[in-house]
Amino acid sequence: MEIALEAEQLGKRYGRRWALQDCSFQLPAGRIAGLVGPNGAGKSTLLHLAVGLLRPDAGTVRVFDRTPYDNPAVLPEVGFVAQDTPLYRDFTAAELVRITGRMNSRWDGALARERLAQLGIPPKLPVGQLSGGQRAQVALALALAKRPRLLLLDEPVASLDPLARREFLQSLMGSVAESGTTVLLSSHLLGDLERVCDHLVVLNAARVRLVGAVEDLVAGHRQLVGPRHRGEPITGVEAVVRASHTDRQSTLLARVDGVVDPEWTVHDVTLEEVILAYLGEGETRASHTEWEVPA
Amino acid sequence: MIALAWRQHRRQMLFTLIGFAVLAALMIPIGISMRHTFTDLGLPECVRALSRSDVAPATADTCEGAFHQFTNRYGNLNLVAVLLLVLPMLVGLFWGAPLVAREVEQGTHRFAWTQGIGRRHWAMVKFGLVVAVTTLAAVCYGLGMSWWVSPLTQAAREGRLGFVVFDLQGVAPIGYTLFAVALGIFAGTLGRRMLPAMTITLVGYIGVRAAVEVLARPHYQPARTAEFPVAGDGRVPMNRGDWILSSGVRNPDGKMVAPDAQIVCPPDVQGPGGRPCGAELGVQPGAYNWQLYQPGDRFWLFQGIETGIFIALAAVLLYLALRRIRRLA
Repeated sequence: MEIALEAEQLGKRYGRRWALQDCSFQLPAGRIAGLVGPNGAGKSTLLHLAVGLLRPDAGTVRVFDRTPYDNPAVLPEVGFVAQDTPLYRDFTAAELVRITGRMNSRWDGALARERLAQLGIPPKLPVGQLSGGQRAQVALALALAKRPRLLLLDEPVASLDPLARREFLQSLMGSVAESGTTVLLSSHLLGDLERVCDHLVVLNAARVRLVGAVEDLVAGHRQLVGPRHRGEPITGVEAVVRASHTDRQSTLLARVDGVVDPEWTVHDVTLEEVILAYLGEGETRASHTEWEVPA
Repeated sequence: MIALAWRQHRRQMLFTLIGFAVLAALMIPIGISMRHTFTDLGLPECVRALSRSDVAPATADTCEGAFHQFTNRYGNLNLVAVLLLVLPMLVGLFWGAPLVAREVEQGTHRFAWTQGIGRRHWAMVKFGLVVAVTTLAAVCYGLGMSWWVSPLTQAAREGRLGFVVFDLQGVAPIGYTLFAVALGIFAGTLGRRMLPAMTITLVGYIGVRAAVEVLARPHYQPARTAEFPVAGDGRVPMNRGDWILSSGVRNPDGKMVAPDAQIVCPPDVQGPGGRPCGAELGVQPGAYNWQLYQPGDRFWLFQGIETGIFIALAAVLLYLALRRIRRLA
């Protein structure tokens, strides 16, 4: 199995604050992976490290077995759409296609033009005058025309309305399905990810909380309802991710590795429930002291 | 990559060209009329005559008069010359500072630097293009100003080495312009915004230029001294166009009695009350006028040194900017 993107103990620090810490995971080639986490979790930092914009302060990140930082040899194989899809706003879409082509060796300009024609993007209008959805489509078309082996998208749909969001994701899925491109797509909109992703990386507070194929993740977690639980081990449960209690009853979201003790009622979980359980983890208590309120 | 740089900067280039054209359209007619007057007053002959040591006093007087006439008529243009001093700085502000800062401010660096060519190549092409354009503009500016300002400098006593006029002509503007642009580019890599970068460029340019001009330039070569007696015919053993750094009257023992002054008395003239000339200032018999100066024929040497300093600074700043760009994301 070829690994498209691999991080090992990866860390990045801004001043004294770690934006990303101890980040280790592998993304197999051909996957469409969601990168999930709340704002400030380190999603953009991870993507910037993967595309070589940032230099790691700890550990390594490898793209098809090469370190991307300051290594232009990796760049032709990586398509990147940064947050808010920055483009030269006074350029027209046609100019962007022509000029970006001059900066890339594996360029497929016809592909970009076809896509943009299909989406009805006006070629002679400055992209600053396009709608947010159209501009995102232009940025995606430019990234796809590089014929990348790895496509990194930083919150590509965050600023789009639901209809444009759906169209964007559909057209993305259509193109990468043909080419077999590996995709890592960050978002905090869980519903979108559930629709398109078959792999998941969950970040929270600068750390990786969960990685894996979506079906394994869904299959590996269960919701258990049973008597008040006080932390004792349960048969068939590898770890309790999140627990909520009433006086007599506990509801657990747990990682399971076998048949669960029949004392518990077992329910299937959705991907969203799993993600939310892991996002609740590791919330910092330091802010209580900073605000001088009791924790 | 050149296609990107050209497309990004072509409008800016057009505006710069228009600016230059307007400036030329204003300055060239003034320059031509100034030169006509200069010739009509017979000043070219005067410049030649005064550069010889055996000039007849009558000729010298006539020429001084003519120079005076010329200066009265065109002296105000020295003010225009001062205004033109800011041109290299404007190039630094509007071509240098936005080069990286604007990309970072608008986030487009994340687009440009993740294309196949990489950011080092990007920076090289952009820097190269801007340096080439500004050098060309600076050469035109330096040559044009040399031509334009030469009647004014020839008519002025201190000549081409004097403040302001030295900075306007020859090759020095190339050094200043490249320095301003490099400073702008470097300042643009420090923060994430364009306006602070422009402020740093403005302050830094004025600061460094003033420091070099005041502190370093008078010392590029050991200055010479000229001495002539207080009681005498007032013939100064110096040439027109020498750059006087400091002057004063010294007593025979070398003590400075009247700084920043020059006293000349015909040999048999006495001061008020029958005292010797200048006695009220403490001038003793045998006192002499003293001047520290840089000879005017060192103009090109000084131009070369000054240009070299600023080009070296520009090179260092561009190198630092390249290093900074590697750390931006």
